[in-house]
Amino acid sequence: MTDANPILKADDLSKRYEDGVLAVDHLNLSIYPGEVYCLLGANGAGKTTTINLFLNFIPPTTGTCFIKGIDVTRDPLEAKKHVAFVSENVMLYGNFTARQNLDFFAKLGGRTDLTKNDYSQVMRRVSLQEKAFDQRVKNFSKGMRQKLGISIAIIKDAPAILLDEPTSGLDPKAATEFLEIMAELKTEGKAILMSTHDIFRAKEIGDRVGIMKEGRLVMERTRQELQYEDLVKIYIDYMKSEPLAV
Amino acid sequence: MIGTIARKEILANLLGYKFYVVVLLAAVLVGTSLFIMARDYRDRLDDYGLIRPKPGEPIAVNPPNPLAIFAKGLDESMARSFEVGPTGITVRAGQKSANAVFAFFPTPDFLYIVRVVLSLVALLFGFDQVSREREGGTLRLMLANPASRGAVLAGKWLGNFVSLAVPFMLVSALGIAVLSLDPAIRFSADQALRLALILSLTLVYIAFFLSLGILVSALTRRASSSLVILLFAWALLVFVLPNLGTLAARQLVDVPSVRALSEKRQQVWTREVLLRIRGEGDWPSHIKAISAENDALEADYRVKFDRLVALSKNINRVSPVASFVYAATEIAGTGIGEEGAFKREVVRYKDGLIDRTLASPGPGAADTPAFRYAYRPLGDVLASGALFDIAWLAAGGILFFALSYLAFIRYDVR
Repeated sequence: MTDANPILKADDLSKRYEDGVLAVDHLNLSIYPGEVYCLLGANGAGKTTTINLFLNFIPPTTGTCFIKGIDVTRDPLEAKKHVAFVSENVMLYGNFTARQNLDFFAKLGGRTDLTKNDYSQVMRRVSLQEKAFDQRVKNFSKGMRQKLGISIAIIKDAPAILLDEPTSGLDPKAATEFLEIMAELKTEGKAILMSTHDIFRAKEIGDRVGIMKEGRLVMERTRQELQYEDLVKIYIDYMKSEPLAV
Repeated sequence: MIGTIARKEILANLLGYKFYVVVLLAAVLVGTSLFIMARDYRDRLDDYGLIRPKPGEPIAVNPPNPLAIFAKGLDESMARSFEVGPTGITVRAGQKSANAVFAFFPTPDFLYIVRVVLSLVALLFGFDQVSREREGGTLRLMLANPASRGAVLAGKWLGNFVSLAVPFMLVSALGIAVLSLDPAIRFSADQALRLALILSLTLVYIAFFLSLGILVSALTRRASSSLVILLFAWALLVFVLPNLGTLAARQLVDVPSVRALSEKRQQVWTREVLLRIRGEGDWPSHIKAISAENDALEADYRVKFDRLVALSKNINRVSPVASFVYAATEIAGTGIGEEGAFKREVVRYKDGLIDRTLASPGPGAADTPAFRYAYRPLGDVLASGALFDIAWLAAGGILFFALSYLAFIRYDVR
C-alpha cells in the first residue's frame, strides 16, 4: 500500500484557533488508494478540524494538507476536484427533489456530462427507494439524506472521500448499509478518511484506525494489528489517561 | 460555475413561496398604481382641455406629461396655468389631481412602488443568501466542491437578480401594454425611449439593494440578525436620509419666504402707481419698471432657491435612493431640473409678451403667441445630472458587491 502515492496527506498539520485552543497538533497522516482510515476521538479531539483543514474551510496554523499531491491551501479549487465530502448531518436543499439536489452538486463538482439515468443508477446503488428520487428532500429521514449525501459523493467520482461522523444518529440497519457502500468504494480504489465515534464500525471497516486526543494522533493500528488487540479497551484507556503535556 | 449556481438559485426561488408572493405583490401594486395614475392623467388631460388658453390669451399652460403616470414628480406644478399680466405672472391651480387621497398619502406612482416596495423585496431576496446556507449546512457542502467563493457569490447574485427582475419587468411590460390600449395615453418615440430608460434604471436600483442584502448576509452568522440590520438600513436609506438633506440645507442657505417675495412685489407696484399718480413718467415706463424689478426679485429668489435645492440634492445623494428618484424624474421630464427650465421658459414668455405689448400698444390680442414648452432633450437631461445619479447608484451596487466578496472570502463556513 505504501508503494503508491497517498491521496490524502497531512504533513505536520497544526491548527490553533484565535481563542488559543490548539485543535490539531502536528498531525501526520497519509491515506492511500483503496484504504479506509478511521479517526476516533472524543468530542473536541480535532477530528472535524482535520476534515475542515483538508477542505480548506479554515487555514492551517502550520503544516500542509495535500489531496492527490495538491497543496490544499495553495490551490484549493484544484484540490477540491479530487475530494468528496459527507457530513454528519447531510443538509441539502429541502425544496429540491433528490434528483435536483444530485444534479446541482454533481455539476458543482464538475460532472456536467451526466444523464437522468446516471442519477437514477447512483441513487439505486445507495439503496434509496425509487419513489424517493423525485420527492422533496425536506420529507426525507436522516438515513435517506445520508444515502443521498453519499450518492453525491459517489457521483463526483473523486479519488478521496472525507466523512465526518457519517453514521452518527443512523439506525443500525442504515449504518450497516452505509458501511457496505463504503466497502464498495474502497474496492474501487477510493481513499477514505472517516471521523467517527463508532468504535465497532471503525474496527469493521477501517484498514487503519487512529485515535486523536487533544489534537494529537496518539495511537494508530492497522486492521491486522487490531485482530490481536481490543480496540474498545485501547480507546477507553486513552480517553481515561492524563491530559497530554503541552 | 456561476451559471450552475444561478440556475440553482432560480430553481430554489421557483420552488419557494417567496417568489410567488413577490410576483403577486408586484402584479397587484404595479397594476393598481398604473390604473390609478392613468386615471389621474386622464382627469388632468380633461382639465387641460378646459383651461387651455384660447388663441390670443396670454396664458402659459403645459399639457400633462404621460410619463407622469410612472414618475409624477413635479408634473402637477409644471401643469399649472401661468397667467401673464402687465406686472408679472399669476399662477392658477391648473390641472390638479382629483384624487383627494393623494393629499394624505404619497402618490402611488410606479416610482414609489419601486422606491419603497421593490427595494424591500430585493433586500428580502438577499438577506439570507449566505447566512441561511451556513445555518442550513449547505454552504459547507457547496464549498467542498471546486467552486470559488467569488463564483458562489456571483451565482447567487445573478440568480436572485434574474428571479426578481424578470417577473417585475414582465408585470411592468404587461401594464404598459394595457396602458397603450387607452387612446388618451400616447407615448412619443422619445417618451418610449425615456420609459425604457426608467425601467433599466429600476434594474440598477434592484441590483443596488440586492447587493446590500447579500453584503449584510455575508457579514452576519444568522439570517435573523441580517434581517434586523437590513430593515433598519432600508428605513434609513428610503425614508430618513433622502429627507435629511432638505432639513440640513435649510439651515445653511437662507431663502426668503414666498410671502416676503409677494410683499416686495406689492411694494414695487404701489410705489410705481403712486409715482404715476404724482405725474412722474408714463404708464409704459412704470410697467416696464415693475416688470424689471419683479424679474430681479424673482431672479434673486431663484438663485437662492436653486442654491438650496442643489445643496439639498447633494446632501440627499448620501442615499442612492435619492439619486434614483432624481434620475428617474429627470428622465421622465418631471424632475427639479425640468421644472426649473420650464419656469425660465414661462418668464421668457412673459418678457416677450410685455416687450411686444409695449412696442405696439392697443388691442393686438390676436397676435399674442401661444406658449409652447419643449422638454429638454434626453442627452441634455443625462448630461445635467441624471447620468451622475445613475452612475452613483450603479457604483453603490458594485461597491456593496465588492464588499460582500471581501466579507465572504473571510466567512467562517462552519
